Amino acid sequence: MLNQRTRFFRQLGKASLVFALATAVGFSGAVPAQADANPNAVVSADWLERNLTNPRVKLIEVTVEEGAYARGHIRNAVEFRWHTDFVDEVNRDIVSRSEFTKLAQQAGINRDSIVVLYGDDNNWFAAWGAWIFKLYGARDVRLLDGGRAKWESDGRAMTPIVPTPAKGNFRASAPDQKLRAFLPEVVRVAKKELRAKLVDIRSADEFSGKIFAPPGFDELAIRAGHIPTAVNVGWKSTLNADGTFKSRAELARLYRAVGIDGRTPVITYCRIGERAAHSWFVLSEILGYNVKLYDGSWTEYGNSVGVPISNPAGTVWGKK
Amino acid sequence: MISPAAEASGVTQSAGLDSKFIWTKREALKTFIGLAIVTALVYLAWILGNNPDFGSNASFSLLIGVALGILFERGRFCFFCIFRDLAEHRVAVGTISILVALATGTLGYSIVFALFLPVPNGEFLPPSAHISPVSWALVAGAFAFGLGMVLSGACIAGHLYRLGQGSLRAIPSLVGVVLGLSLGLIGWNDIYLNLIQDAPTIWLPDSLGYAGSLVLTLFVIGTLAVAAIAYSKRRDRNYEVLSNPFDLKSIAYSLLRKRWSPALVGIAIGVIGTVAYLRIEPLGVTRQFASASRTILETQGLIPDFLYGMDALAGCIGLVGQAITNNGWLILGLVLASFAAALAGGRFKIERLSFKGAVSGFAGGILLGWGALVSLGCTIGVLLSGVQAFSVSGWVFGLVVFAVVFLGIKLRLHTFA
Repeated sequence: MLNQRTRFFRQLGKASLVFALATAVGFSGAVPAQADANPNAVVSADWLERNLTNPRVKLIEVTVEEGAYARGHIRNAVEFRWHTDFVDEVNRDIVSRSEFTKLAQQAGINRDSIVVLYGDDNNWFAAWGAWIFKLYGARDVRLLDGGRAKWESDGRAMTPIVPTPAKGNFRASAPDQKLRAFLPEVVRVAKKELRAKLVDIRSADEFSGKIFAPPGFDELAIRAGHIPTAVNVGWKSTLNADGTFKSRAELARLYRAVGIDGRTPVITYCRIGERAAHSWFVLSEILGYNVKLYDGSWTEYGNSVGVPISNPAGTVWGKK
Repeated sequence: MISPAAEASGVTQSAGLDSKFIWTKREALKTFIGLAIVTALVYLAWILGNNPDFGSNASFSLLIGVALGILFERGRFCFFCIFRDLAEHRVAVGTISILVALATGTLGYSIVFALFLPVPNGEFLPPSAHISPVSWALVAGAFAFGLGMVLSGACIAGHLYRLGQGSLRAIPSLVGVVLGLSLGLIGWNDIYLNLIQDAPTIWLPDSLGYAGSLVLTLFVIGTLAVAAIAYSKRRDRNYEVLSNPFDLKSIAYSLLRKRWSPALVGIAIGVIGTVAYLRIEPLGVTRQFASASRTILETQGLIPDFLYGMDALAGCIGLVGQAITNNGWLILGLVLASFAAALAGGRFKIERLSFKGAVSGFAGGILLGWGALVSLGCTIGVLLSGVQAFSVSGWVFGLVVFAVVFLGIKLRLHTFA
């Protein structure tokens, strides 16, 4: 049954290639509701199945479970490794511009590519990848709705065959500083010297300072709590039960309830920056708001000397 | 009929259809029970596969365990027995079985590697393959493991399948294994920081490519096979090809009673190793024990909160996961399917356990467990799955274990029990 369905979609895919291309390109050109919103920022699994052979679509998997990509991935997906490909391996920083150009070209990415990312853990790391691609100037970057888990639970086709793409012509531009926040800017927001809305996407217990980090993580900060003025909207609240994104209207309502409506610039953060990329994607790409990701996040802020902290729970480090 | 004691000693039996072999009601009942056990295990695999808490990987692991249990039991795939045959009786048939499994698996792994990592570039290793650092800890672990095999009369996999045959000595030995793993975990951080962290991880394809590694590995395996055959003196008539009439009774006799051809068993184990790696993880039989030991020690506060490098190293030891890992299902399948095969073939026999046998089994088990922990696996996980994965660590472990077992037998250490 599975094979039949796959075959059906494959045929459908071929037959409607022209149509699919037209839709993909046509919709991207439509006037979005918000200045930077991409109405196609999220693609459905059905759309992806129809576009697997679309030469403009470049599929990238960012999965952290070892061996998962190797044992089975969506056809033509190239693997990017979060720990080595999207970050600098020595300094705490994102991957360098030249290194990223090299990686993207090896993955066959062109200037006009539609980059579709997906991965495990609810697309957290895929969203980080999407942020890096946008930061370095990729024009059309999308996430697969529901990520790897949804694709698998749908019973859709996967393959262990690794693609060998022809070298692409993508060149990373200078990092777009409108998408990235650093500590000094965040401290100015905390001190209300700069107008922006901070969104802390961690769990309520991390936000309140009851716990320093979720169990099992050793990237600790030696202070608990959150950045003053931040609101707490957990990353999970942006998703439906099956891991797909909520509708645009629901998402807009969710954030409007905490005073975020796109009129004030937003900065998202979490513990090490990767889950905040997920909420960055929702706010920036789906809703089209003006959003920066503070990738230093709590492991930088909560370890910094002399910055203001809000710790409602009153937890004291080193004292049980 | 081969009793568990005869299983260990390499005693031969006469070839040809046993004139006394009569398909009595008792035999038929035993065969039926054996078949029912295997059917129940397959049904359990089906239930696991449909249960979202376990899923297809647990299901598949159980089935791999069932296949291994039958193959180990029917093919007498016991590393200690095989090494002992060679050292004591100069019989090399079992050695050929191991070498065929290595060669088949090496071919299979090459194909899977070419899918997982088309170009070996020195930067990445193929995911989750058992390619571990070559260190003095590996040598020490292999030494302890070999000594443990001699004292307890089997390796860990051997004890597991012989438990299914009714070997009571496997019980104190496996208890010893858990204790040995625990001792290894307690001392892990010092061993890791001093011996393992800086040790080189040598993967042949990084320097030789896949083709070169394959040629070299197959050449070495072939040379060892020729050497083993040249060294062997006696023919083991257990393995003589039968010219039975082609009827159901003779076929049942061949399948249930006669030992399976070593080449056939070797090929099957090599193929299963490849499929296991492709779908889940390389073959191994210690992960479940190590994981259980670690959970117990952690709750008792006996090991440090953080074990350096443990979960990042490729092998059978790392990661505390769910209470029953995929590997746990594999072990369950292995023991029960071995029991089913032994029962159906009339080889199941509760072996009398002497006090000396229990003590030597327990002591040997501790050495097996400690050795497996610091080597990150055992004869299956490091030797079999490592050599098949072109890892030098597999060869180092295998050669040290073989040398220690060979010398131990020459020194009659195994007769203590």
